[in-house]
Amino acid sequence: MSGEEEENAAELKIGEEFLKAKCLMNCEVAIILDHKYEQLQQMSDDPTNQISQVFEKSLQYVKRFSRYKNPDAVRQVREVLSRYKLAEFELCVLGNLCPETVEEAIAMVPSIKNKGRIQEDDQIEKLLNDLSLIKKFE
Amino acid sequence: MVFLEVEMPWNVLISPDQLSPKGLLLQKAIIVRLLEDIANRKASKEHGYYIAVTALNSIDEGKVRELTGDVLFPVSFNCLTQKPTKGEILVGSVDKILKHGIFLKSGPIDSIFLSEKMMRDYKYVAGENPMFLSEKHSKLEKDTVVRFKVLGLKWLEADRQFQLLATLAGDFLGPI
Repeated sequence: MSGEEEENAAELKIGEEFLKAKCLMNCEVAIILDHKYEQLQQMSDDPTNQISQVFEKSLQYVKRFSRYKNPDAVRQVREVLSRYKLAEFELCVLGNLCPETVEEAIAMVPSIKNKGRIQEDDQIEKLLNDLSLIKKFE
Repeated sequence: MVFLEVEMPWNVLISPDQLSPKGLLLQKAIIVRLLEDIANRKASKEHGYYIAVTALNSIDEGKVRELTGDVLFPVSFNCLTQKPTKGEILVGSVDKILKHGIFLKSGPIDSIFLSEKMMRDYKYVAGENPMFLSEKHSKLEKDTVVRFKVLGLKWLEADRQFQLLATLAGDFLGPI
């Protein structure tokens, strides 16, 4: 954080790390952690040492709250969302919460309207349609 | 919840008995020690929660510590992290119901307080299964899944965790 302005995700005033680093959605993290879990089990005689509580709680959470389970669908979600000029953080919030209406999408990510990148509601509508299509054919 | 993959430096300390002429064993010792260090560290104010090491990018030349004989290896690795942010919208589940509000948990974050004052028209109902009920008969009880907004957060150094304040004031927030 630059420190001068207080952070506020609703206005996309977030830490620099969110703008620089790669942000990941629940469904992407579920795939990574599942894979890691298997690796850790195999690697060590005593896997409990390396599987922390933070890891376990996060794994349970992302498995429960991932809207998309199939790895192909997960890839498509990122691809579709990347076509709209979204910040990484916004992209992940939309992919996680899967809003159903334009009003809901704007309530979840108010910054998509403020920054003047997606100005038209019908563009948001198209984005939401694209997302629900992926879910339908998963 | 938005996760981050961040590259970061670390110093791994290896005791002399683990130094092996077979390179692979040394590499394994370094990885195991790094995973343990990160699991123990849990979280930091700067990065948020450390969830998993996803890649080890480089291991630099080790430096011997003269007093102990331990060798210090500077490494660079990628870590999956989760840092809660003010104003973001999260999904969590109800952990505990108290008269003055609700404790929620969400992923690695254990301590999220939703005060009764931040619940608009929900009222506390005592009983064997205490709950909060709204006029529209929407219920908040143990294990209810709730969408909420982060109103504020505090880093607790002693517990190595964040404490969050939640609110339901806003459209499309509440039990789902």
